[in-house]
Amino acid sequence: MSKLNETDIQGFVLRGYNLPFGRYIFIHFKNPDRAVVLISKLLPMITTGQRWDNGKPPSTVNIAFTHRGLAALALPDATLLSFPVEFQQGMKKRAEILGDTGRNAPERWDAVWHGDEVHAWLGINGLTAEALETCCSQVRALFAETGGAIELAAQDAVSNMVNGQQTGKEHFGYTDGFGNPDYLGIERNSQPGHGKQLPDGSWAPLATGELLLGYADEAGELPIAPIPHILASNGTFMVYRKLHQNVATFRKFLDEQSANYGGGREKLAAKLIGRWRDGTPLELAPDAPDQSIVKDPTRNTNFTYGADGAGTRCPIGAHMRRAHPRDAFGFNGKLIDRRRITRRGQTYGRFVPEGESASDAEDRGVVFMVLNANISRQFEFVQQQWIEYGNDAKQGNDKDPLIGNHGGHGKFVVQGDRSASNPPLICGHLPNFVELRGGDYFFIPSITALGMIAMKLVDPR
Amino acid sequence: MSNINGKVYAMNAITPMKPWKTWILRLIFFVLGHVKSLQQDLINLSFIEFARWVVVPRGGFPQLGNGQEPEKLTYDYLLFFSNFNGTWNQYIDAFSAVLFKGLDLIWKWSEKFPGSVPVTIFKEYIGRVQFDTDYYFTAYPHATANDLKAAHSVQASFDDLRSRAANLSGPEFADAYLNFVLQVQPYLGETGEAPVVF
Repeated sequence: MSKLNETDIQGFVLRGYNLPFGRYIFIHFKNPDRAVVLISKLLPMITTGQRWDNGKPPSTVNIAFTHRGLAALALPDATLLSFPVEFQQGMKKRAEILGDTGRNAPERWDAVWHGDEVHAWLGINGLTAEALETCCSQVRALFAETGGAIELAAQDAVSNMVNGQQTGKEHFGYTDGFGNPDYLGIERNSQPGHGKQLPDGSWAPLATGELLLGYADEAGELPIAPIPHILASNGTFMVYRKLHQNVATFRKFLDEQSANYGGGREKLAAKLIGRWRDGTPLELAPDAPDQSIVKDPTRNTNFTYGADGAGTRCPIGAHMRRAHPRDAFGFNGKLIDRRRITRRGQTYGRFVPEGESASDAEDRGVVFMVLNANISRQFEFVQQQWIEYGNDAKQGNDKDPLIGNHGGHGKFVVQGDRSASNPPLICGHLPNFVELRGGDYFFIPSITALGMIAMKLVDPR
Repeated sequence: MSNINGKVYAMNAITPMKPWKTWILRLIFFVLGHVKSLQQDLINLSFIEFARWVVVPRGGFPQLGNGQEPEKLTYDYLLFFSNFNGTWNQYIDAFSAVLFKGLDLIWKWSEKFPGSVPVTIFKEYIGRVQFDTDYYFTAYPHATANDLKAAHSVQASFDDLRSRAANLSGPEFADAYLNFVLQVQPYLGETGEAPVVF
């Protein structure tokens, strides 16, 4: 496969920027004629996938639209109706499918999601807080200058700092962001364990069409995409979910359960997710964390579950084993290759180190963004079948222990062995460690498509 | 009337075959039926409760009398019947991804069969030849095939522990109990409502 046209793809799609400061601005278009002027003025600011040969830029800007947003831009009906159904409906209408009920139900989301007002997402990231502010001011000045959009809300995000250093740790203390897949044609420092497993045990990139519209996917087909083709090609879909983290509840759970667990508190924390909190995979180091593995790209994602069918190293129901089951369902992972998602996440709220008191009421969590070519086949399937349900993992109706919507009724079995430091444990009455505070489904168009929208040149045929 | 009862989906598909091809398929079924290793991939798809293909010859349809005219059928028919857990899409996706060779071998003798890869055209074909279920009884609508197998494992381990428990000393029972827990620990998932169909 030849290289992709990186300058036509929004940079956010091709790489995690790993810039410490972020702000996600949600806007509403009042008038299509003024809105397209705004888009044409934003266009030169949009960060593309072009390589950063001179280091990271001070800030980045990316844009994505809800289906209502595209309608507000007066795209032709024939185009609007050609988008996949789940995108047309939006995430709120898919709540029952996704298990976004009870504590995660849309009525409990942030106010910005209560109406159907959100038309677009502007993702802005900065190397420094000042750079972020400067960029946001420039963008907001365009709102005012063009009259093209009103700002509904903004979500700030900032990477957690530990001892003054930017870290990849989220609020529960886990080091995050190991397992994004590789795709054909996308330049990246590839490592074993990314992508898909081949019958000989080696790893290869996934088909480009699992991420980008307009390219063949793992089934050898083009993903379902809107017409015209040129509007869709080099674009993708994003799922935006604001995940609140109940840090106090999480720590209390670890305290209480580990009192009866011979493995201890840190091992219990590791069993929930499948990695020690420093990132060491349990499959490779079941007894203690090992920084030499975490730092070694040839090892830190290079493992499978086939030799651990009983789950005595990594529990069968652990978060990581559910979300990316690798070979756990047999067939060399062939059943999961079309269910992979790319994650872009950033923490928000103040990080509270262990030892300091934290409250669930404080506003903190993860802005969780998923990129995939087919929301229904990829994100929704993973969320419904593997996170909120367990049959493929042979765990019945048990949910993901860490991010499942348990409502106080969850159960998690930590499989163990005869050793005193790795005994079996059954945790009952699991609460919600994570709660959904809102989000939606977005389309991230290519630079070409943005230009077409800005010039009102989208013709369905 | 629904194809879905709790966690189980019932699929019927009927496809016509030219009669001379039926003999080839019968030979293939004979081989598949006698070489167990060829069935292994189908068996390993753990969300399938049951799958069966049956040839219905054109002279084999019932004639009820009472003035029902005998039909002159041009084709023999292949009936596929399966019960599975999970979504229709998941089921056909899995078939297309890992069983495509076997499926093609069985279905290629049917008229207009497009092949099981690429999957979208295969799904369209299944959609056209699928007949909806009129009546469907499920003994355990809140359980999947995996749940039932797990329950059997737990029951067997429990029965074993119970049969020995009365004769064990305290420390021996502690050890036997730990053994029991280690045996059943992969099989303790809850049963319950199926996810919403999508």
